[in-house]
Amino acid sequence: MEKEAMVAELVRLVGGEQVLSSPMQFKLYEYDASLIRSKPDCIVLPTSTEQVSKVVKFAHDNKIPIIARGSGTNLSGGSVPVEGGIALVLTKMNRIIEMDIENQRVVVQPGVITLDLKNELAKYGYLYQPDPASEKVTTIGGNFGENAGGPHCLKYGVTSNHVLGVELVLFDGEVVNVGGKALDNPGFDLPGILGASEGTLGIITQATLRIMPKAEAVKTMLCIFDSIEDGGNTVTAIIGEGIIPATLEMMDNLTIKAVEDAYHVGFPTDAAAILIIELDGLKDGMDRLTEHILDICREHKVREIRVAKNQAERDKIWAGRKGAFGAVGRLRPNYLVNDGTVPRTRLPETLARVVEIGKQYRIPIANVFHAGDGNLHPLMLFDERDKDELQRVHAAALEIMRVCVEMGGTISGEHGIGVEKIHGMSLIFSDEDIAAMRRVKAAFDPLNLFNPGKLLPETEKAA
Amino acid sequence: MSNEIRWVSALKGIVGEANIIHDPDRLAAYAVDGMVPRAVVSPGSVEEVSKLLVTATAEKLGVVPRGNGTKMATGGIPRKLDVVLSMLRINRITEHDVPNLSLSVEAGITLSAVQKQLAGIGKGSFLPLDPPYTEKATIGGIIASNGSGPRRYLYNSARDLLLGLKAVLPNGDVVAFGGKTVKNVSGYDMTKLLVGSWGALGVITEITTKLLPLPEASATLLVTFDDLTKAGSLARKVLHSVLLPSAMELMDEKAAGRLLGGKARYLTAFSLEGVGEAVERQVAEIGQMAQKEGATDTKVLGAEEERIFWVRVRDFALAADASVILRANFVISKQAEILGRFETLAQAAGVECAFIGHAGNGILTCYLLGDMSAKMGDLADLIGRFTAEAAKQEGNLIVEAAPRALKEKVNVWGQPRSDYVVMRRLKEKVDPAGILNPGRFVGGI
Repeated sequence: MEKEAMVAELVRLVGGEQVLSSPMQFKLYEYDASLIRSKPDCIVLPTSTEQVSKVVKFAHDNKIPIIARGSGTNLSGGSVPVEGGIALVLTKMNRIIEMDIENQRVVVQPGVITLDLKNELAKYGYLYQPDPASEKVTTIGGNFGENAGGPHCLKYGVTSNHVLGVELVLFDGEVVNVGGKALDNPGFDLPGILGASEGTLGIITQATLRIMPKAEAVKTMLCIFDSIEDGGNTVTAIIGEGIIPATLEMMDNLTIKAVEDAYHVGFPTDAAAILIIELDGLKDGMDRLTEHILDICREHKVREIRVAKNQAERDKIWAGRKGAFGAVGRLRPNYLVNDGTVPRTRLPETLARVVEIGKQYRIPIANVFHAGDGNLHPLMLFDERDKDELQRVHAAALEIMRVCVEMGGTISGEHGIGVEKIHGMSLIFSDEDIAAMRRVKAAFDPLNLFNPGKLLPETEKAA
Repeated sequence: MSNEIRWVSALKGIVGEANIIHDPDRLAAYAVDGMVPRAVVSPGSVEEVSKLLVTATAEKLGVVPRGNGTKMATGGIPRKLDVVLSMLRINRITEHDVPNLSLSVEAGITLSAVQKQLAGIGKGSFLPLDPPYTEKATIGGIIASNGSGPRRYLYNSARDLLLGLKAVLPNGDVVAFGGKTVKNVSGYDMTKLLVGSWGALGVITEITTKLLPLPEASATLLVTFDDLTKAGSLARKVLHSVLLPSAMELMDEKAAGRLLGGKARYLTAFSLEGVGEAVERQVAEIGQMAQKEGATDTKVLGAEEERIFWVRVRDFALAADASVILRANFVISKQAEILGRFETLAQAAGVECAFIGHAGNGILTCYLLGDMSAKMGDLADLIGRFTAEAAKQEGNLIVEAAPRALKEKVNVWGQPRSDYVVMRRLKEKVDPAGILNPGRFVGGI
């Protein structure tokens, strides 16, 4: 279909104000937080399920790719329209439809910003648990599409553990309800398969989320180590003692320095590693548990322990952690972040390998990780104008993925496959596994128009 | 050579003479809804499962996977039943990673055998699942049916605990999804698709799950009421408090009487687990809340009593000898209301029914007691009314067990939903020959 005709038809379907098609506007929707760039042929900002349905049906009838997008913070190229088509930007669908506190559910549109929802819930004393570091800007739809994690996933699980139902627009524009407020609806777990599907199976126009009463007590500890191994071993020892805190977050020296430089939160810039441990739940027994954890830290040669005395101190620690990517981003023009995940006991070993890889490829790597989950975030720093360096970064990234797989882990814990890791898929999946995923894709999207070119490698054994 | 002689001989070639049953007298025990299979095969490896499914697809056989058979009464009447595929010989613990708190086990092992092993290693850990049929239920059956029990209130259900699984698809492909890390977004979350798929998409052969450290302390508090509104009010207050019981079960007098004797009209049972101080405080605080709501009695169970009590709650179907079991789901605030409505409707229909529900999860199981054979029409009518009530509260109702005569009159998976269209497409893509559990899942899948 001619681009002009496409734009004219979309304007007719949803109205002129919601269709963007200038080159400058294309620039704004050609990227996400990865290195991948590609322009859409048209941008549509629908305001209702009905409009989404019309646009999807139109795209299907005319065989035009359609790519759902929220705030574009995803880290793997997932929302970049690599084959052109319609960028369906859902940020105008940002209403909280229902706060059903009585049933501990909220119903939201996909464009709701995660932190906005949390702030609204806080008024009722409730929490939506997933907490991606980018929650200030990310949307619920994007969180679900990528199955976003965050520090508190250690105890509470990832986004798909909290999404109980969705309203879904199918390839032909049909709107179906999947799951719902009640648990255990009969049938296949469709909310389960849709989480992390990166917009390749359908468009979510509404989501029903599980919320929980805010915990009675929280204890946040900042533990400072002179060696990263000691930090890693502390993590293993805490879990080994049968304690599962709400978070076990770690960062290395390069990250600590960058964070301190950017935010001045009081992290010691000479520390090799810091570990942020948070406990939540009932206040009873928490002091004893805290003491137990601190003893374990001491056994592993902790240099200093700071226990947050109030919310302000707690917020400061978390501001440092959540701002880590941004802070590291100031060090060089670009960074590439991987999110390979290993069984948590293999973390110290894996880290040592990451350091080696950095040296081998001459790439500075800053490390921030969800240590309790074994989820690494090596931030590889470079300048994309230096083609040799860029090539080395990609090679290092692939090598880190290989190491994670070798350790019994996987190539992506929470950022998704998108385009960036598509060549890593064959490191963990056989041709048969991928073929099974393809059948799922075909059941939802027979013409391969939802976010084509993502997640499933075109050719088997690509790596 | 007739078709049947041909494929039976092919199956025999795969599993060996000793692992196939085709003597009609012995096959009767494997009937599903009165339909007797032509053969029961017990493969000893994943490769054998794969070969069996390849043969079944080629011969278009109806295959019903099975563990210890505790859930064979669930589902629609099979459209076709040729082979029962017993997974009991595939039953090893393949990896137990204590420091990582993960476990890989094959489908045919029982959950109770797994728990016994886990409790004895190191500081002790457990798989936080407590579905019915404590001693008999196999891991494969539990995962395929997304089985759960009272403690899901704190620990959630299998969909939230599983890290990965292996399965054989109808075309014989042996596939593995997920892994042993607690976070994983590499590719589609096929694990969730197979959990609760009731054997309609593939035969689950192995799972990897999270484990939890054994709790430091536990206690059980029983609270009785003579008034359902008061019991409902307590459940609601606990639900919205900072307290974190691991289970909160609300049951009527027929269930409570069978479990504990006595004549309490309604019983709410709380399980508390965790650090000692928190368990102690919750017992005291819920006890006080119960008094304030007008409880007629409160009682704390001793350690051994507690263990036996929860096993009996889980396994109530065995003690009740109920031939019809229904399970309704609905929004969590309506537990007492739904129980009240169901009691009234059952009474009006002259049906004796015991009720036990997960009061923190919006799930109510109804055990129809006594001989039902004469009243299939009335029962179908009652099930319709129950379903309508649950649907009003954004839920549904499934028939977990029923005689064939009743299944012929009702939709065992409740009211059809708009997403069945997607489920049908999934089934057609993954099992185009329709060999796995044909006709037994939602929408006649």
